[in-house]
Amino acid sequence: MPIGTPPTSVRPAAAGPAGETARAAAPRTVRGPRRGNLRFPRAERLAPYVLVAPAVLVIAGLRLYPLALGVNFSFTGDGDRNGQNVGWDNYRTLFGDPLFAEAMRNTGLLVLLLPVAVAIPGLLATFIYLRVPGHRLYRSVYFFPAVLSPVIIGAIFNLLLAYDGPANALLGAVGLGPVDWLGDPDVAIYAVVGVHVWATFGMALVVFLAGFATLDTSLIDAARVDGASLPLVIRHVIVPGLARTIQFVVVTTMIGMLTSMFGLLYVMTGGGPEGSTYLPEYYIWFQQGQMSRPALASAASTVLFVVMLAVGLAQLAILRRSGRED
Amino acid sequence: MAPLRAGRWLVALPMAALAAATVYPLVFTANVAMKTRHEYVLDRFSPAEALRWDAFATAWGSADMGRYLANSLIVVAGSVALLLLFGSMAGFALSQLRFRGSRVLFLGCLAALFIPFQVIMVPLARTMGQAGLVDTYPGLILAYTAQFLPFTVFLMTSYYSGIPGEITDAARIDGNSTYGVYARIMLPLGRPALLSVGILDALFCWNDVLIALLLMPSPEHRTLMTGVTALRGQYSADIPTFAGGVLIAAVPVLLLYLFFQRQIASGVTAGSTKG
Repeated sequence: MPIGTPPTSVRPAAAGPAGETARAAAPRTVRGPRRGNLRFPRAERLAPYVLVAPAVLVIAGLRLYPLALGVNFSFTGDGDRNGQNVGWDNYRTLFGDPLFAEAMRNTGLLVLLLPVAVAIPGLLATFIYLRVPGHRLYRSVYFFPAVLSPVIIGAIFNLLLAYDGPANALLGAVGLGPVDWLGDPDVAIYAVVGVHVWATFGMALVVFLAGFATLDTSLIDAARVDGASLPLVIRHVIVPGLARTIQFVVVTTMIGMLTSMFGLLYVMTGGGPEGSTYLPEYYIWFQQGQMSRPALASAASTVLFVVMLAVGLAQLAILRRSGRED
Repeated sequence: MAPLRAGRWLVALPMAALAAATVYPLVFTANVAMKTRHEYVLDRFSPAEALRWDAFATAWGSADMGRYLANSLIVVAGSVALLLLFGSMAGFALSQLRFRGSRVLFLGCLAALFIPFQVIMVPLARTMGQAGLVDTYPGLILAYTAQFLPFTVFLMTSYYSGIPGEITDAARIDGNSTYGVYARIMLPLGRPALLSVGILDALFCWNDVLIALLLMPSPEHRTLMTGVTALRGQYSADIPTFAGGVLIAAVPVLLLYLFFQRQIASGVTAGSTKG
């Protein structure tokens, strides 16, 4: 504490207003922290709580409490049995519903596609970091779809993926038959996921680039001087160096895939064709709003939450283990 | 460090193609919006014959985009103001002040970060309904504030942790109360973070459709994004007007991106390097 020890103080104690401040403050600091508390007026002691109160109240009331309420709610009935305890009935209905099964299958597909959704921005960030011609431009261009609403992106891709739209014109130019991107039950989910990846890879790319900025360049230079090829440098220098960043991107990409595709689904397919593009979030929306079965929707919400927890914990465990091997 | 030498162009070409593919959808849509319906039916790829703004005017006027825009602005402005106020207050207290329970409160905020809206939307809609807040501006503003507050608190806390505690001590010694330190020192010092978080929060609120659909069901309260989802049904036979409406909704975000790209990127990456 510089103020309490005048000889070593940076400011000469006698000089002007600064000195006055120091003198006035001296008794307060000398008393020490324990008695200082007693001296503080009540308002001062409560101040930290007053400052956090609005945030804590909003978060507790509108996020944590509804979570508990929803779990509770999923064990009550819909319609005639509104408010009654129905045990596990909603969960039984849920797992017997082919539409929900489809939604869970699609969730599994997303988890399988996750490595691709992480590798693409990772590779592109590597190239930008290694300064391919035009790297400055790519960074801004790739990132911009990430700021657009899924609704706008979905609307634009409705035009692009129309049966007689540009995507099929491009395929036709190289002699491939037209694809019914959003009308074919086997294709539609890939089309929607593809659009989601197109729209969000810039986000992960920027995160990767921030990670690269913390990387020790001399390691890469040394590896290259020793004649290591680019794949070897990526495998042995870049990936271990970016372990934290990769972990962050994996988790955020997964959360994004499981919870931010509603806009695309709503605009592009409405869950169709034949329910083939249902995801849990769309199922929840559909049961709550369209079918007026909020309790069933709550059960689906709880399952989604458990799935997200499980996937998140599994990923962390895998990443931690692979990090230890290196 | 040494840039790639051999194969630089081999990589650059696909990357340029990807960049083109990133921009093309928007260019295509803009071109379609400039065409007449007749032109569009004949050939949707050729450049429009003239710069025509009819489609934008029609979308703005008859599709009620003006009203949706006003709704969006009200809700986004209200939400961002509350988010920045609550977020900076909590961030300052959690990082600079020592008080009992601060760690638990911070972890609670962090946990809330991992609760997706889909998981709580049914009970939230019900609670909002009971409180008479469905289909009102305060209701949607409150919902957005709750949704993005954990993120805002988290970022503000980590930003304020980087400010040395001596500054708070010195301001106290100069006679400021805790509230004075917040208002006179921490708010001005937090400007870069507030700008970055504020822009991101504005984007999140602006781009949302699920929460708006759930809590603002009536047509006259539609936000711009909900309005866009309704356009398709309204103009399924008039694609140029549809494209015009979509672009009107995209322009504010594109402008924001042009001016604040760096702040957006720093907000997105803030969580990845710290914590």
